[in-house]
Amino acid sequence: MKYAYFPGCVAKSAAPELYNSTAAIADKLGIELTELTAASCCGAGVQDEQNPFLNVLLNARTFAQAEELHLDILTICSTCQGVMGDVKRQLDEDAELFSRTNEALDRIHLQYKGKVKVKHLVWALIEDYGVKNLESHVVKPLNGLKVAPFYGCYLLRPVEAAGFEDHAKPSSLENLITVLGGEPVRHGHEDKCCGFPILFVRHKNALRMSSDCLVNAKKSGAQLMVTPCPLCHLSLDTFQKKAEKEARTHIELPVLHFSQLVGVALGIEPKTLGFSKHMVSVEKILPHQ
Amino acid sequence: MKKAKTTFRIFRFNPEKDKQPHYDEFAVEIDSMMSVLDALEDIKHEQDASLTFRRSCRSGICGSCAMKINHLTKLACKTRATTESSKHGEVLVEPMGNMPLIRDLIVDMGEFWKEVDRGKPWLVADEKMLSDLSRENLLTKEQIQTSSKLADCIMCGCCFSDCFSRVYDKNFSGPASLAKVVRFVNDPRDRAANKRISKLVEVGLWSCTHCYFCWSQCPKEVRPVEAISALRTLSSDSGDVSQGARHVKAFSDSIRSTGMLNEAMVYLNTMRFDALRDVSLILRMAYKGKAPSPFRRPIPKIDEVRLLYQIVKEGKAR
Repeated sequence: MKYAYFPGCVAKSAAPELYNSTAAIADKLGIELTELTAASCCGAGVQDEQNPFLNVLLNARTFAQAEELHLDILTICSTCQGVMGDVKRQLDEDAELFSRTNEALDRIHLQYKGKVKVKHLVWALIEDYGVKNLESHVVKPLNGLKVAPFYGCYLLRPVEAAGFEDHAKPSSLENLITVLGGEPVRHGHEDKCCGFPILFVRHKNALRMSSDCLVNAKKSGAQLMVTPCPLCHLSLDTFQKKAEKEARTHIELPVLHFSQLVGVALGIEPKTLGFSKHMVSVEKILPHQ
Repeated sequence: MKKAKTTFRIFRFNPEKDKQPHYDEFAVEIDSMMSVLDALEDIKHEQDASLTFRRSCRSGICGSCAMKINHLTKLACKTRATTESSKHGEVLVEPMGNMPLIRDLIVDMGEFWKEVDRGKPWLVADEKMLSDLSRENLLTKEQIQTSSKLADCIMCGCCFSDCFSRVYDKNFSGPASLAKVVRFVNDPRDRAANKRISKLVEVGLWSCTHCYFCWSQCPKEVRPVEAISALRTLSSDSGDVSQGARHVKAFSDSIRSTGMLNEAMVYLNTMRFDALRDVSLILRMAYKGKAPSPFRRPIPKIDEVRLLYQIVKEGKAR
């Protein structure tokens, strides 16, 4: 299995542990990642608000780079996945936009043919790699660890762009948690917003959103939370202490990147998985891993 | 037709006698043609006449029967009961969110309409147009297309009910209200576009998180979140210097200069002096080795990215 790898900005700056743990699990699973080093930021839904056409062009450039390699794109961020999936949807639906985009790409000697697929790691493991195959690589099953899934909006909605599963009852993360030996814990907020997109401009509201998500997971019995989105991780882990203060409650719920959770079950060292970079200690829950 | 007994778990509250809301369960025989509204009517006629809910057209036009069905707000008349029961094992029915409860499945929609009104959802025609009423002021087909999807809104409140931001921000006028603003900003007969745009920050333009619930739950495919993005572009281009607009500008500038998101600089340019509130957190991030550096090397072939910016700028100028 081989992909054109789009790690996104956050995995290469504020969440380096995601970049490193993804490299480690890809190696163990035999997934070959050719990183698109010349790809630009997906725009995270913000570039679209500066200029929607420019947002399409920047992502179409990334698609064209992957098509030149004859590979599908692998993402490890719900937001990258959602934004790129939505640009692809727009280009697929709108012939005029498609040709206008290629006229512009022509000036940088690129062409988007419309063939590339964009897949999040969660989807790729289920659809391409196969859960049975993944299960056969599990050497340190999670021993019934209670794990709360947290999808990140863009992995589920809009359905027209995401389309992997029913957003009204998502199950991909739950299935993968089970395959890794954990017990998925539903908490009613798995499909909600972590607050990150307004963390700068509506700070208190964002902190109250993330604290509600975390508190609900904890109340439902979760020992840790897992998310396939590094922006959610920033909100849920990095800002968790501030969220606790805002909500005037003690939370202390470790939050793992999806790649890290897979890494634990594959027996990868905690040092490689970068747990020391977490704001909320993971070691209390995973002491011997 | 095959019929099956299905459990409907329904939120109940009668302010005249209940201290607390509770749930009642009803077993209903449903077939594949029945909507959730059909089942509620069956319950009301055959099991409990006191069950209270709104309904009118039964055809997805009037927008009266919006309610939470298995946690998501939908029109009961457009929702197939068997789809819900096969997916969730039961049909859980609750009143809409973000609005005060009146009784059972009925909420006070005044709060929603008040917010829609804040967007002034009516045409502000100019004097010249009104002075000559002998002539019709028709739109071209192209002009109609830009606002027809937004004009499809039936004000059912599904988007408002499931708006996650509204739960935390009572100043945010909500998805339907902002979608209506775009509908009139796009209408060439309207003379209040600039005024509408200048009022956007006041009604919470930058409070939307892009959770996309409004898109997924709208029974008319209005896609309010797309309208909100369009308004943010217009507001930013019209002298908006609020934190939200600064964030968009800083974000785009960062991609032009490095191809990537320079988190540190985007943060500082957005927050300015407000960044002081997070100093201790940034120091802890630095200690953990994950504070983003403000110095980011441009990606390979950054000239291509900059040329795309140039092409778009030229296109706009033309």
